[in-house]
This record gives sequence, structure tokens and C-alpha cells, in this order.
Amino acid sequence: MTTTLEHKAPVIKHEGGGLARHQNFLTAMIGGVAGAFIAWAISHHFFAQDVRTTSDAVAVLTGCGWIVGFWLGIGALNAPLAWLIGSDQTRKDQLYYAGEDQGTKRYWKYCTDHKVVGVQYIVMTMVLLGAGGILAMAIRTELIVPGNHFVDQQVYNGFIAVHGMLMILALIVAVAGPWGNFVVPIMCGAKDMAFPRLNALSLWTLVGAAGLLLTTLAVGSLTMGWVVLAPITDQAGVGMDFFALAILVFTVSTTVAGVNTICTVFTMRTKGMTLERLPIMVWGAIIAAALGLYAFPYFSLVEALQILDRTFSTSFFIGNAGGTGWLQANLFWLMGHPEVYVILIPAVAAVFEIAAVMARKPVFSYRTAVAGMVGLAGLSILVWAHHMFTTGWAPTLGGPFMVTTELISIPTGLFFLVLIGTLWRGNIWMKLPTVWVFGFIANFIIAGITGIYLSDIPIDNQLHGTMFVTAHFHYVFVGSVLFGAIGALAFWYPKVTGRYLDEKLGRISFWLSFIGVQVTFLAMFISGLRGMPRRYASYAFIFEHTNFISTMGAYMIMAGMLVLMGAVIYCWNHGEPSGSNPWHANSLEWLVSTPPPLENFDVLPVVTEDPYNFGKELVRS
Amino acid sequence: MSIDTHSHHDAHADGGHHEPPEVVDGRQRMAIWLFIGGDALTLGALFFTYLYLRGVNTSGHWMSMVGYPGPQLPGGHTWAYYTGQESLPEATTVVTGPLSAGLNWLGTLVTVVSAGFIWAAERALRVAKNKGSFTLLAGIGTLVALVAVFISFHQLAAVPQILSVHADNTVLAFTAYGSSMIIIIGSGLVHLMLLVFLGVGLTLRSVRGAISVENWYQSRLVRMFWVWVAISAVAISALTTTINTIH
Repeated sequence: MTTTLEHKAPVIKHEGGGLARHQNFLTAMIGGVAGAFIAWAISHHFFAQDVRTTSDAVAVLTGCGWIVGFWLGIGALNAPLAWLIGSDQTRKDQLYYAGEDQGTKRYWKYCTDHKVVGVQYIVMTMVLLGAGGILAMAIRTELIVPGNHFVDQQVYNGFIAVHGMLMILALIVAVAGPWGNFVVPIMCGAKDMAFPRLNALSLWTLVGAAGLLLTTLAVGSLTMGWVVLAPITDQAGVGMDFFALAILVFTVSTTVAGVNTICTVFTMRTKGMTLERLPIMVWGAIIAAALGLYAFPYFSLVEALQILDRTFSTSFFIGNAGGTGWLQANLFWLMGHPEVYVILIPAVAAVFEIAAVMARKPVFSYRTAVAGMVGLAGLSILVWAHHMFTTGWAPTLGGPFMVTTELISIPTGLFFLVLIGTLWRGNIWMKLPTVWVFGFIANFIIAGITGIYLSDIPIDNQLHGTMFVTAHFHYVFVGSVLFGAIGALAFWYPKVTGRYLDEKLGRISFWLSFIGVQVTFLAMFISGLRGMPRRYASYAFIFEHTNFISTMGAYMIMAGMLVLMGAVIYCWNHGEPSGSNPWHANSLEWLVSTPPPLENFDVLPVVTEDPYNFGKELVRS
Repeated sequence: MSIDTHSHHDAHADGGHHEPPEVVDGRQRMAIWLFIGGDALTLGALFFTYLYLRGVNTSGHWMSMVGYPGPQLPGGHTWAYYTGQESLPEATTVVTGPLSAGLNWLGTLVTVVSAGFIWAAERALRVAKNKGSFTLLAGIGTLVALVAVFISFHQLAAVPQILSVHADNTVLAFTAYGSSMIIIIGSGLVHLMLLVFLGVGLTLRSVRGAISVENWYQSRLVRMFWVWVAISAVAISALTTTINTIH
């Protein structure tokens, strides 16, 4: 039995909200700027001007002022401060914070409704990807011919660093942010996330962190790549301070979001929603959240140590004072490799979800899919040193780390098995989300196979510093994660807006992006195999042709993304109406009205079957 | 997915955001455990940092550095930039030595005692149903935590700096040991300040009636975190007072 639950919530007039009635994104920006200015003025006044670390300390405190002011301005601190004095929110306050009867204004506010937060994440992800994409185009334009001077070489280095980190942050939230918020609670049969205020906090903290990260472009001096390896960071300008602080703040956001996701799934599932009936997307969200909880403490610690070295004369990473850069490298990569799977797993889970619905079949070997994601997460914490194969750190550990890295191909292989098994002999509905799924599969094969090469120490010794590695991880992040994320966007877009993402524009975007990825990164593989080092603003003439081709491909990807962005914006109000369940899916998010009402369900459903029971008549025999 | 929309009417369906405290308590306890888990990983990373730096003992500078002993600095300033190196004494290898183990354990003891008060406060409210005792004990526990805050500040101020000569300038710097102690004590300090915030909140909320013998759930959540901080303080002291010098 499939039933659509229509929204029948009564309209309640109320006066809740208090101070929050006057708080929004504008007041947050004003608060942030004011906080930054006050912190700058105080710290500038009190620190002696001739101390080596003064400018760094002033920069860090200015950044802290920005964050605190931003939180105050958006209303993130209202509830904690009210709690402190024993003043709890009333039901009316909660409904106000949840955005009831506020129309589009709620999207600019500290709204606790998980669906609003999901939409805010969509916008945030697009902004971050857009900013990172602009930098990518600048980088590729610089590399279009050897000896180009489109940007200064130090500026180029800064672009590399900020592009890398912007894209990493954007992709960490690209699937888990929008859909972990918008659909996962409904998929579980919950009325909201477990902690709605923390949910809003994670989103707006991310916005504040993005502000700090973009500030590095304005103040410059970030010349050491996105991994910001020590001890060179000790010599960098104040851009490094904003960068490190942005990461610290970002880890607060991800930790809060991860705890919230796990608690939602494990404590708020509706009756009958056993763990084996969870849509596979939910598994992806909680496994990635758990992995993030493991990984990001290292991220926050390593950046805290960077800040202390730069502002407080500590010596964690400074060799002539007892520290060592190896510590930074180890802490960073203890986070760095699991982080790849924090990014990848939600995208893979989304692709599983789309494949099952569009092939009208259950996820092939559901338990294998879950085991694969758990296995991938577990193995990912044992492979960090493969990023240091060529650096000379602990050579005797090279063999064991090579083995653990190669073992990752097993759960990755299970993903392909599950995907192919799900699509095999299914009644495949070749709509826009499915197209992106097939793009994901093709790109992920290339990403996976080239990863196996790089896990092998002798080959890694030859290729590690080359553009081959750059091409490999772009196949992972762009070809796989981004394609999966766009597939998820096309799939759940009708649930958010009640309209389809335009099929024609979507397919144009797909083909531009898909061909662009092959042109850009296959050529980049060749550059790398021929020995072109990465991270350089200029290069030898023997790499001219492949770099020109890569840049042309990058422009194609940009064109594809612009078409997609245009489609997303246009279709929001003008797309073809889709109804509540355009894909005839069975999971709970499709069984509520579109857009889903506040608190999702008037009556909590009781689940009696798994979400992929489409009926045997639809599967080819 | 098949669903039955009629057989399970949620008893609290009129308020997904407004559920009884015992319903909210379960998920809040899970969240606290997850936050403690994340915090434990951070503590593990701090220990890794400490032990790694001590283990590699780069240039033999775990507790020493080439520089000038602090007490000889003119004027006794600690955050000054000195030019004109000819006026300084000859550079030597300065060994700083470990921080006071007694002060370290005293801070830990105070933290444990504060946790004991919070534990007793929660028991008074939850088991003995005595709100007055809860308010008193929570308030005392908070004040004791405040003492631990001051001890931490004192510890931080006691971490020795060395006037170190670099290629292009002369700066005050901390050895690897001193650096590790700063992040460990600093991290503990942040936790203690959070405990003070929570303790003040519990006390004020009890006074204002937001916490009662029926609604005691938040006191247990705070107690869980408080006890974790006390346990981590013991672990920190055990590590940093037994494994510190290079033999």
C-alpha cells in the first residue's frame, strides 16, 4: 500500500521568536563585520607592534571576532544564552524558529526546519562550488600555454590553496548537507532532525567559515597549497591565519552536523523502520557522519597547532625548536584520507538510491552495499601514510600501508557490484538523474583504477609529484562525487520545488560536463605520465599540447556547470510541475506532499515493508 | 515502502519540537556520548602529539633549546622583541625542565572534586528528589571548577619561554615540551570554562525552576560530560607527569 500524506496543519497566529524576529543574514553580516572590527581594534591596541607574531595574533582574533559577531547576528547564541539564565523557548518560539508562516524570509534566517536548512545547504554548496570553480578556471587559464602570466605566481599558489579547500569543503557538504538534511529525516519517518537548533548552527557556522576562507583571497599570502604543509606555513602571511581558523570553525560545523545526523537516525525512526528497511541513502549519511566524527578532530587539532605556532611562539612544527613537520603531515593525513570517504560515501549512497528507483529494483545485495560503505570507512583510517610514501617518513611502514591501501579496492569493488547488480536487467528509466548515475559509474571506474596504481609504492614514487595524481583525485571528486551530487540534485529537486529540473538543459549540462571531464583529466593523466609536476604556474614546452587540451576541457565543464546552474534557478519557479512522487518511489520522502509540510507528518507512519519493493512485474525476467 | 498511516498515532504528534523531556533525553544522551567520543579522539590526538614530539626529540630540543635563560632577560619581560644582540649574554643550551607535577595533580584533583559535587547534585535531584541540595551542590561544584580554571591559568603562565636566536631575528619560544603542555593545558582550560558555563546554567535554572525533581534530565547530561572531563584530566596528569623527560 502506498499512501500520500497530505499536510493538514492548522495555521497558528503567534508572536513567538523574540529577538530572532529581527535577526537574519543581513544582521549576521553586520554582526560579523562589527565583531571583526572590534576584535581587530582591541587586539591591535594591546599587542606590542614589534613582536614577530603580532600581525598573526591580530588576524586570528579578528577572525574570532567575525565568527562570534556572525553567530550573535544570526541568532545562533540566543538559545544557549537563554538556557544559561533559565529561560526556555516556548512552543510559539520554536514554531517561529522553524519558520512557520514566514515564506521565503525563513531562508535568510536561523531557521530550524530541516528542509529549510537543506535548501540553505543547496545554495551554500552552489556558492562554494561556484567560487572554487572560478578559481579553477583561473588556474587552467594560467596553464593554457607555458610561461603565461595571467596571474602572478604567488597569486597562483594562493588560488591553488583556496580552490582546493573551497572544493573540499563544498564536496564534504554537497550531498550530506542538502539531502542529509532535507530527505534523511523524512526517510526515517521523523518530524525533524534530533536537534533542530544544532542543525541551523552547523549551516550558519559553515557560512561563517566560508567567509573566513574567502578572506584569505583578499589578504593573500597563502602560498603552500591546500594541505598547508608545515613548516613553510610558519613563514606565510596572515592569509594562513584566516585559513587555519576557517578550518577550525568548519570542524565545529561538521561535528555538530554529524552528531545530529546519527542521533536522528538512531533515535527518531518511526515504527517499523528497522535498520534493514532504511533507505540506503540514510546508511550513507550516518556512515559518513561517523567517519567525520573520527577524522575531523585531527583536522581541528592540526590547524590549532598551526595557529599556536604562528601566534604564540610554540614549536610544534619548527624543527630547530624541537618540533617536526612530520607531526603536521601525520595529523593532517590522519584526517585527510578518511575525509575523502566522508565526501565519497554519501554520493555513492545517493547513486545507489537513484539506481534502485530508476531501475525499479531493490538495491542489489543491500547488506553488501552497507558492508562496503562500513568497510571503506574502516579501512580509510588505516591508509593515511600512503600520502607520504615519497617523503621518506617511516619507510619500513611503506609495505603495510601499501597493503591497506590496496585493500580499499575490495569495498570499492563491492560498490560496482551493487550498482551493476541493481541496474542489471532492470526497467531502467533513463531520466536526468539516471544519466548522471551512468556518468558517475564511468568516471568512478577510472578514478578507482588509477588509485590502485598510486597505492603501489614503486609507481607512486614516479607519479606522486605529477599531474597524474591531480587527474586521479579530480576523477574522484569531480567525475564521481560531483556527478553523484548532481544526480542527487536532479533526483530530489522535484521534492524540494515541486518541479522537474529541466531534462533538456540537464542533459546538455551532463554531456558538456562528462566530455569536459574526460578531455580535461585524461589529458592531465598524459601530462603527469610525461612528468609534469603539479602546483607550478608554468611548465616546459613539452607539456604544451596536453595542457591546452586540459584547459579546453575545463572550459567545457564550466559551460556545463553554468547551464546546470541556470536550469536550477530557472526551474525553481518555471519548471514542469512534477507532483509529489514523480519517480513513483516508495521511500517516505515521496509519500508526503510537495513541498513537505512543517514537521513532515501529521500522523507518524508505521513502516511495514522495505523501500525498494517495486513489484516483480516491473523487473525483466 | 508500505506504510500504515492509521495504526500509529504518535502520542506527541502535536509537537515534534515539543516532546516530553524523557523522550528528548534519550537522544540527548546519545549526542553527549558522541560528543564525548569526539572529544576522546581529540584527546588521543593530543597524546599522539605529545608522545610523538617526545619520541622524535628533534635536535634534542624536547625540553631544551639554544638560547638565553629567561631569568637573565633585562627587565624581566616575557613578550618583548629584543634587538641589539650584542647586549645579550652568550647563547647556551637552556634546559627548561618539566612543569610542577604537584600543581598538575592539584588541578586534576580539584576537577575531580568538582565532578564529585555535580554527581552528588544530580543524585540529590534524581534519587533523593531534593532540589535545594541540587542547587547548593551544583553551585559549589561550579565554584570548585572555577578554582580549577585559575589553576590552569597559573600552569599556563608557568610554562617557561626561552629567548631563542634565529637566523634573522631573536624571539621568545617554547620548547616542544612547553608547546605540548600549552595545547594540553589550554584544551583542558577550554573544557573547564565550558563546565563553568554549564554549572552556572544548572544552578540558575534550578533557582528559576527550569530544573525540578520531575525534570532532572539536563543535570544528568551535564554530569556525564563533567565526569568525562574529570577522567580526561586524570589521564592527562598521568601521562604528563610520568612520561616527560628524556632519559
